[in-house]
Amino acid sequence: MLAELEQASGGLWPYLVVIVIGFLPTEVWRVAGVLAGRNLDENSQVMVWVRMVATALVAGVVAKLLMSPSGALTVVPLWGRLGALAAGVAVYFVARRSVLAGLFVGEMVLIGVGLWGSQV
Amino acid sequence: MRLAGQPDGNGATFWFPFRAGVRQAAGLPSLVLMASLIGVGGLTRDIGYPMWAGVFSTVLLWAGPAQVLLFGSLAAGASLPAIAVAVSLSSIRFFPMVVSLLPLLRGPGVGTGKLLFGAHFVAVTAWTEGRRLLPGLPVEQRYPFFIGFSVMVMAAATFATGAGYFLIAALPAAFAAALLFTTPMFFTLSLVAGSRTLADWAALGLGFALAPLATALVGQDFDLLVVGLVGGTLAYAIHRMRGGR
Repeated sequence: MLAELEQASGGLWPYLVVIVIGFLPTEVWRVAGVLAGRNLDENSQVMVWVRMVATALVAGVVAKLLMSPSGALTVVPLWGRLGALAAGVAVYFVARRSVLAGLFVGEMVLIGVGLWGSQV
Repeated sequence: MRLAGQPDGNGATFWFPFRAGVRQAAGLPSLVLMASLIGVGGLTRDIGYPMWAGVFSTVLLWAGPAQVLLFGSLAAGASLPAIAVAVSLSSIRFFPMVVSLLPLLRGPGVGTGKLLFGAHFVAVTAWTEGRRLLPGLPVEQRYPFFIGFSVMVMAAATFATGAGYFLIAALPAAFAAALLFTTPMFFTLSLVAGSRTLADWAALGLGFALAPLATALVGQDFDLLVVGLVGGTLAYAIHRMRGGR
């Protein structure tokens, strides 16, 4: 059925997916925030739980992207991907909590492993 | 805080603070967002979607993690309803963020319509910078300043998304890999930067560790939902056990 829908929408399918599966489920919370106004304490227990679920979810996405990547990232082996991530996090702390420094070094390590792998 | 060179007339009441917001955003905030969204452009191409789908996702979703969830799950072949629920779960955080920023955005002539427009730009960067900078501005300048700031960072991030789409095909293999690596690296660092309590760290570590386990147990469709709900709830239990309120 999905394949038929994809056919019927012509080339517009990716945009439909972005709007219906991406935009609407995200925007609904921003709209709800405006409408709920100030009747809500951002430090309430429910909000703490929400923050924990969101954190675990994003960490889960990161793990999936690294452990079962698609396309271009597969040229770097798993140990290289995880090593580059660990190096980036370590440098973040060494460089007095600098996100840009951590990002830069993590990228350099990954590129290094990728170049080394392509020569062996 | 008075903005430098502030005119006295009424003609500049919107554009003057708007431009000040643009200038505030033009440095590091824009750079950070470009770094986080360039990988989304690459991801878009990786799954065979057109460039404009990636670009529109930046403008419409304006939520890096949700965009990565969306395109990453599509790449993994998850079912669309499951992706929608996971995307929505990851975006619930916007609810308390918007609620806490509203008092700073309200001002003369800022009704519900304008607030809804402003709320669309609420994401990590605009929220943290808004909370930091808006209280120091006169009430009537806050909304236009916030819009100027947000439009600037969004323009930079949107450009980066489109650029990432083309770069990934033009770059040598190791550099194309680095482009896709930007996203997991950046989001790990922002999670690490935002973690203060043991429970925060537990949510981060559990989410990471549970992901392969959940994929093996429940499959590609619902693994992320399980990771978020189980990992997040366990972390919340730690928060409660340590007497957190």
